[in-house]
Amino acid sequence: MIAYLINLATLVCINAILAITLNFIMGYAGIFSLAHAVFFGVGAYVAAFMALQWTDSLLFQLVAAMLLAGLLSAALALPALRVRGDYFVAASLGFQVLATTVFSEWKSVTGGIGGLVGIPPASIAGHAITDPVEFFGLAAVALALVVVLTTAIVRSSFGRSLKAIRDSESAALAFGKNVALIKTLSVFYSTAMCAVAGVLYADYLSFINVESFTIDASTLFMAMVIVGGIGTVWGPIVGAVLLTLLPAALTYLPFLPRTEIGSVQQMIYGLAMVLLMIFKPDGLMGAKQGEA
Amino acid sequence: MLQMSKAPALPATLLEIVNLTKSFEGVKAVDDVSLHLREGIITTLVGPNGAGKTTLFNLITGHLRPTAGDIRWQGDSVVGTAPWKIAQLGVARTFQDLRLFSHMTVFENVLTVMENSAWFWQSEAGSVTERRRRVHEILDATGLVHKAEVRANDLAYAERKFLSLARIMATKAKMWLLDEPASGLDPGSYERFVTLLRNEVRRGITICIIEHNLEIVVSISDRISFLDQGRLLADGEPDEILSNPELSSIYFGERNP
Repeated sequence: MIAYLINLATLVCINAILAITLNFIMGYAGIFSLAHAVFFGVGAYVAAFMALQWTDSLLFQLVAAMLLAGLLSAALALPALRVRGDYFVAASLGFQVLATTVFSEWKSVTGGIGGLVGIPPASIAGHAITDPVEFFGLAAVALALVVVLTTAIVRSSFGRSLKAIRDSESAALAFGKNVALIKTLSVFYSTAMCAVAGVLYADYLSFINVESFTIDASTLFMAMVIVGGIGTVWGPIVGAVLLTLLPAALTYLPFLPRTEIGSVQQMIYGLAMVLLMIFKPDGLMGAKQGEA
Repeated sequence: MLQMSKAPALPATLLEIVNLTKSFEGVKAVDDVSLHLREGIITTLVGPNGAGKTTLFNLITGHLRPTAGDIRWQGDSVVGTAPWKIAQLGVARTFQDLRLFSHMTVFENVLTVMENSAWFWQSEAGSVTERRRRVHEILDATGLVHKAEVRANDLAYAERKFLSLARIMATKAKMWLLDEPASGLDPGSYERFVTLLRNEVRRGITICIIEHNLEIVVSISDRISFLDQGRLLADGEPDEILSNPELSSIYFGERNP
């Protein structure tokens, strides 16, 4: 039972990092990306590939994954600089579909549909992290760092510039803000940190395949952010906890046949989203509307 | 030349507009306009709706690119320069529809304007303490101190107008372009608004205003430029422009076909 809970807690940490990094561009830069799972996948595949071919050093894996994801973020930044809102969502969706295809077809690197198996555990300074409790500790530290760093950025002048751009791009330009550079940097940060979650995920499960990095995953991450509250500090964490634990909790309902859990989950997600948008459109942690 | 003899020497030109034209699909919104915006005074752009006043602002700030002509800031052409660079040169503006940073607090709205670096440090804006003190001063001057932590969205109309002004006060710009900043203000707020502007001009700020209300135009302008259908019809001292019967008939819509 303890092992099961540790497992869930580790996955919550990884999902929380994903939700926080997505919230960073959704809530503060106004960039609604349906391609977050791509960078999660890039992180995971880089870690897995490196672990299988070259090194189990967590540090090297993290650096390589963050850099590659950051570079690939140009694929997100370029359309984000040209189009906003609905148009950008469509562009990111296209990127997600494209990436899913690459993940499932580039067999020599990603292992194709079957994925990569037997990923050796990561090591820090020569010490292999095989104990699940240790790994949970690692994931928790990573989450804490991402929370602290992201909160610091949001509260800095850079965070204010981002919010200003989100609220009125033309006014931000008129007040001397280099909108293109600020957006590009924000997407770079978000995707690089997202890749950290991917590295942890691959090293933790020791098995990855494309299923975890599809549009379904991107939608789930977006749901975490929206349920918790876009543009809030704690919202994405609350959303990640709820949406990670919900499937687990559902398995404990005695009257649910195991084979039906998947569809019941979908119905509960859907219903929760509709109810939330009706009663608490800003998310669970969202500010109260109309407070003076 | 007659008017030159009675007027004192004009202040130096800060921004020069040279034969500027902007066409939208063949319609000339700004048509061959040449204009000097002079240092340390308030120049008012007047003219009926569709005269091209806001388009002129958008051209100056780089939000639009001219079809022909030139815009010179302190002698150097700024045509084709990105809006944020023009802003950093020293031209700031307000918008007719305000475009406040609506989900940020009043305090943040003013603070962020001082922070022009795209990176994580603000070498030019002074320390955080200095910045906060300056924001406080500006909010004090605009009567928004007690609203500092309120989101811009939740402000009353007049307060929003003053926030728009507070934001521009936070810039280091030498020239302010104000697009109908006083429209809809009650008389009390209006008094405070005019006093504020006069103080800023005394401090050396050059202001160009788009304004419809003639009472306001009279009380505030040092010079008036009259535009109609994209063309500059007249440019001079307020008395001279406002006493011209031809211009007032255009202004009040009694145009002959």
